Amino acid sequence: MIPSVNLKPLHWHPWIAPVEVDDATPAQREAMKVTPSNKKISEYVRTLVHDPESYTARTVLFNAIMYVEGGLDRADRELGALGASIVNGCRYCAVVHARRHAQLAGSDAVVSAIYFDRADALSSRDAAIYRFARRLSVTPSEATPEDIAALRAEGMDDAEILDLIHAIAIFGWANRLMHVLGHADLNK
Amino acid sequence: MSDAIDKAAGLAPDDALYQTRRLRPEFVEGAAQCQASVLTPETDQGLSTDVRLALAQRMALLNRDAALVQDYQTQLAAHQPSAALLALAAGEPVSDEPLATLARHADWVTLNPTQATEQHIRLLEQAGFSHPQIVALSELVAFVNFQTRVTAGLRLLRSA
Repeated sequence: MIPSVNLKPLHWHPWIAPVEVDDATPAQREAMKVTPSNKKISEYVRTLVHDPESYTARTVLFNAIMYVEGGLDRADRELGALGASIVNGCRYCAVVHARRHAQLAGSDAVVSAIYFDRADALSSRDAAIYRFARRLSVTPSEATPEDIAALRAEGMDDAEILDLIHAIAIFGWANRLMHVLGHADLNK
Repeated sequence: MSDAIDKAAGLAPDDALYQTRRLRPEFVEGAAQCQASVLTPETDQGLSTDVRLALAQRMALLNRDAALVQDYQTQLAAHQPSAALLALAAGEPVSDEPLATLARHADWVTLNPTQATEQHIRLLEQAGFSHPQIVALSELVAFVNFQTRVTAGLRLLRSA
């Protein structure tokens, strides 16, 4: 029996000074969506908004990949994100997306198995998704046609696999921002 | 219309997978917008497009994505790049500063993101890079690592 993992939310702190809302340029304020009722902007957003164009473009794409309706089940996208975050060493992203997976799946069995290094206890479907996420996240990719065949054998069609590829790939991006530009711990 | 990802993955408009990609227009359009924001931004923060393209080619090489290497090489050639920039793009060792610092950072974050530390950011600061430049560079590095995973996944999906 695998114990239930206790994943406390982490707090992220940048290595560089974030933009202060009062000092922000009009483009930065626009990107942060600063309004009279929304002045409290996270350190993460205020760090990335040093370059407002890339922040805005990536946020739109990220939200589409993780939250768009239909296609691959949202819990499966979170499992792809978790696999990528573990390979890329982003503890912060891993905890956030493990918690989201547990919430969407209504159980922490999958994320507990992963955190206790018991991927052998995953269902064949979860194992196929997790393995593909890990292999595609390595540089250069180590994913193989057999990984795709394993996903298809679980009944996933090409549209769903393409959703999964994007969920893994966008964490090849997000992890390289959060884990490179800052660090995470339990302190606020 | 075919985009950089279709071309790199070898997808033609009459391929089934090309059509499957179009079931998610927000992914196709979003990736194109992101590419523009990191390679040809309206405000380049002092990191010019030729330097960005050379770094992108170098990271595509580290990801062993020959098609994207070719794409970035062609785009870079249109900017009359210096010999130092061509060497950086080709994945060769770079000694001129600040290009050497940029290349080292891009290599490290592409290959070993797990091992990234505060020191990597301090080295960029010491080489004279501003915070907007450090963020813009980070987004560029991260974007190419996104794009190469989409193309790698599509190629597998096409062949498997």
